[in-house]
Amino acid sequence: MLVTTIINGLVLGGTYALLAMGLTIQYGIARIMNLAYGETIIAAAFLAFVLNSTLGVAPLVSLLVAAPAGFALSYLIYGLMLHPLVKRSKGRASLEVDSILATFGLLFVIQGVMLVFFGGNYISYTYMNFGIDILGSSVAANRLTALILALVLGGGLYLLLTRTLWGTALRAVSVAPQSAPLVGIDADRAARFAFALGGALATCGGVVISMYQTFTASSGVIFTMKALIVVILGGVGNLAGALSAGLLLGLVETLVATYVSPGLTLAAVYFIFLGVLLWRPSGLFGRAR
Amino acid sequence: MLDVARLSVSYGKHVALTDVSIRVATGEAVVILGANGAGKSSLLKAIAGLVQPAPGAGVALDDKPLTGIPAHEVLEAGIALVPEGRGIFGDLTVSENLDLGAYAHRARKEAPRNRDLVYQLFPRLVERRHQRVATMSGGEQQMVAIGRALMSAPRLLMLDEPSLGLAPVMVGELFSALKQIRHAGMALLIVEQSVRKSLDLADRGYVLEAGRMVGNGTAASLREDPVVQRAFLGMAADA
Repeated sequence: MLVTTIINGLVLGGTYALLAMGLTIQYGIARIMNLAYGETIIAAAFLAFVLNSTLGVAPLVSLLVAAPAGFALSYLIYGLMLHPLVKRSKGRASLEVDSILATFGLLFVIQGVMLVFFGGNYISYTYMNFGIDILGSSVAANRLTALILALVLGGGLYLLLTRTLWGTALRAVSVAPQSAPLVGIDADRAARFAFALGGALATCGGVVISMYQTFTASSGVIFTMKALIVVILGGVGNLAGALSAGLLLGLVETLVATYVSPGLTLAAVYFIFLGVLLWRPSGLFGRAR
Repeated sequence: MLDVARLSVSYGKHVALTDVSIRVATGEAVVILGANGAGKSSLLKAIAGLVQPAPGAGVALDDKPLTGIPAHEVLEAGIALVPEGRGIFGDLTVSENLDLGAYAHRARKEAPRNRDLVYQLFPRLVERRHQRVATMSGGEQQMVAIGRALMSAPRLLMLDEPSLGLAPVMVGELFSALKQIRHAGMALLIVEQSVRKSLDLADRGYVLEAGRMVGNGTAASLREDPVVQRAFLGMAADA
């Protein structure tokens, strides 16, 4: 039972980590606090559901559609809706307020569209719904796949950002946007790509979630919230921090739900969150700047 | 090579530069002298494309007009700026900072060779290459900033107060590095508070006062100029 619980916790944690990495890229590099982030996740979950139930497409294949679509749509949203805000903003603080308000509106638009098409019911579909034996405990194959996907995507992103010149340039923009042009980086373009990359991660996360969880058109907010908590726990803009904090949060939630009470999971999450905010405001893995 | 004509810069109502014209020839080292607030930094920033000059100004590198184009394209054209305060990426390592220096397309092919040159110029950076630059001393950070600018293989290197806040030993090291850069044939445009040292390095100089050009000449003639001596070389008391 403990092995199953830990693996389930890692699955949830891996998903959280993946989601948080996307959000931390959007916020850390593009400087957009995207409140519609969770809606992007749920939209991708619906995409995987529709493709699976109508055409019988496996979620693993849906990823090939969801990731580019998430990238393209986020790129478009940035260009049409957020870039004008960036251009007229006088500083980081005013952009923060503007982007929060604008994406707050976007949240309801996307959610409204999904409610019209799918209603407010809980949705799920069956995919790889059989047990795999690990150390004598049975773990659902779809959860195991979700964990592997989260690790592969998260690890891939980490390598992209730390081992390539392009990724290093993105991190440079997150560290000192005003210095980026000094080395020939078009900071504006970098921000647009970072926002799109974050969107692609959100849609990947959405497909992964749909493989093992039920969801509704209005559950996006919860995912935005969880991702935000993980980002803050890990230290804003810190990828390795997001990864570890995500895994930690998933483990804590699952352990509390199994051994204490399912009703206390959110309470446990906020208890940790509050503690970190009080004693380590720059995050568990954040560096004092 | 670099031609700046009738350059004016203002921030809102505050006028920083009025009608300034300067030239830097290929391989030449030019120093800009002036008191605090004379507009020296504004001049470099306007050339680098970081601030927009007033209409009517002309900035050109080898007759290629640069007026009004964004900073990242000015770098691509061959002008690198080491700004006051260095502007390095504190959370990244030395080698990551240098890698980014060669981010410009013009510099990518030559990056390995230029990195060797930078490490030759600043051997201390070799042992520190995996260190986060925020944890390094001011002098070492300045080396990273200059090294990063050199990585873009610029035709003109502009430096804004490179010796500001450095220990005297480091200032000496810095200027001997700048001399080597100059001997390698790179054009330099320097704003510097150690006037004596920068006049030793430079071929020519300009004097800015309250945003206007009030004098220019060869380094030797500026060194002998009584106005320069009184204002910048602290000779009034000795005389």
